[in-house]
Amino acid sequence: MTLRAVPLLSEPTCLRPDSSLLEALHLMLDKGVNHLAVCDSGTWAGLLDINDILGELLPVSARGEHALQDLRFVGDGIPLIAMQLKKLANKKVSEVDLDDMPTLDEDTPLLEAALLLHRHGVPLPVLGADGKLKGMLSRRALLAHLISKTGS
Amino acid sequence: MTHPAAISEAIFGLSPLLVSLAIFVLTYAVIVTEKINRSVVALLGAGLMVLAGVLNQAEAFNGIDLNTISLLTGMMVIVAITQKSGVFQYVAVKAAKVVKADPWGLLVMLSVVTAVFSALLDNVTTVLLIAPVTLLITDALRISPYPYLFSVIFASNIGGTATLIGDPPNIMIGSAAKLTFNDFLFNLAPVAGLVMALTLIPIYLIWGRKLHASAEDRALVMAFNERESITDARLLKQALFVIALVIAGFVLAHSIGQEPGTIAMFGAALLLLLRVYDQQAEAQSHVIHRTFGEVEWITIFFFIGLFVVVAGIEKAGALEFMAQQIVVWTGGDFTVTAYVILWVSAVLSAVVDNIPFVATMIPVIQSMGSTFTPAQIETLWWSLSLGACLGGNGTLVGASANLVVAGFAERAGHPIRFLPFMLMAFPLMLASIAVSSVYLWLRYL
Repeated sequence: MTLRAVPLLSEPTCLRPDSSLLEALHLMLDKGVNHLAVCDSGTWAGLLDINDILGELLPVSARGEHALQDLRFVGDGIPLIAMQLKKLANKKVSEVDLDDMPTLDEDTPLLEAALLLHRHGVPLPVLGADGKLKGMLSRRALLAHLISKTGS
Repeated sequence: MTHPAAISEAIFGLSPLLVSLAIFVLTYAVIVTEKINRSVVALLGAGLMVLAGVLNQAEAFNGIDLNTISLLTGMMVIVAITQKSGVFQYVAVKAAKVVKADPWGLLVMLSVVTAVFSALLDNVTTVLLIAPVTLLITDALRISPYPYLFSVIFASNIGGTATLIGDPPNIMIGSAAKLTFNDFLFNLAPVAGLVMALTLIPIYLIWGRKLHASAEDRALVMAFNERESITDARLLKQALFVIALVIAGFVLAHSIGQEPGTIAMFGAALLLLLRVYDQQAEAQSHVIHRTFGEVEWITIFFFIGLFVVVAGIEKAGALEFMAQQIVVWTGGDFTVTAYVILWVSAVLSAVVDNIPFVATMIPVIQSMGSTFTPAQIETLWWSLSLGACLGGNGTLVGASANLVVAGFAERAGHPIRFLPFMLMAFPLMLASIAVSSVYLWLRYL
């Protein structure tokens, strides 16, 4: 059985790459989601994770390789966070290093989709033959489908 | 002396001298392109020296200076464990608070802290520890990190010059020439301190006098609690105890008849023991595996390969010939030879990796023993060390630490570009070599 039989998350909200991170954050908070698909004219461009936005609020010195491992000594650091928050309005989604993840299509077998969802821990995009985003497959949607099919 | 003719047979009908030189030039040329990882290139060059018959396996292994390898590996293990205690952040934050987060005072303090750490640790480790704290503090002060990162680069290379263990070229020179920790400290630390102080003058004139931070932002830094950066007090005590023991060992090495490699490796093993003795076998394996994983094996294997490549051309007689040519060019004049080694080392080390250069120059200077007295040869070692270590400041690719800092700067949105850096750094580096020339003249020539 392939993904063709699984109901996808309906009507995925697509962010444009030129949206600001602040807009993306507000959208995530409004919709109560942790991930948003990024599409350029409908074509899949990547997944923005709320963790990417949280990372932008940290001082540069605490990000990436060889970064500071501990920030307790800074205290609450509210002025530093406020400084970074202001920058979110001017930073575009396209400037973020979006998560590199596999894409699925309607012919992907269910077991393979389960494996990839388990490994990556985020919803995965299901693309049409033209590269356009058809929908996002979540772990919850796949599990619900499996339960309904096996009658467990 | 090993004359080319001493190698019994020609290789593939070619002279061993030509074959070894071809392998040497090819190896160094590929290293310079940076297209392939330098450790792989050096190991391939070493393998070719043996496969082509320039060296047999025993001669190749004899060419590897295990004292240097042990010293580097042992210190890397000690640093990998110590940095987890948060002590380096503590010192950097404390330094900032001592000067009340005054921007110029901060620059001086971070330079001094970097120089001192670089004298006791390798430069790359030092900048990996200092650059993130520097960025955090300049972020909080809302000032450009560029002058600070520039100074950190200079301080790391200058501080590294001061001791036997500060910079890989010194480790190699000390090991080959049997120079002690104290020899380096007494002969190079004074000039390193002088160069550091003088370097801060142009940095002040160019950037320092214009640096300004608001009282509010300075208060933010003053609110940092450096004590909170000590993440593991027990580890800190263990690490400081072992580091003190190792440094005492380096200072006393000559009088107790021990080599620095043994001292560093013993210190590393002792610190590992202190870390794991009260843990279960599985947990011990995990900690030790992770710690060994943090050793920079690329650097270690690079050294191993280079030592064999250099042993190849040394056996073939190329380095003896080069030493004779230098003596001929300088007319056997000791002062001119010392200055040629100093300035050529500096300029070359600014553009190519100073490790292969020093690895090549060591046998060359050793071959000059028939021309100069032992005291004069010792001066030539100081020329080589000063040139090779300080030369690294000349360009962004002059030392690995420079590139590490540039990586941090890029991430912080204040990239250090090759040309603008060189336009500032190269004249400053030349000035440091001029200061070193005067120092050599006053003290040894």
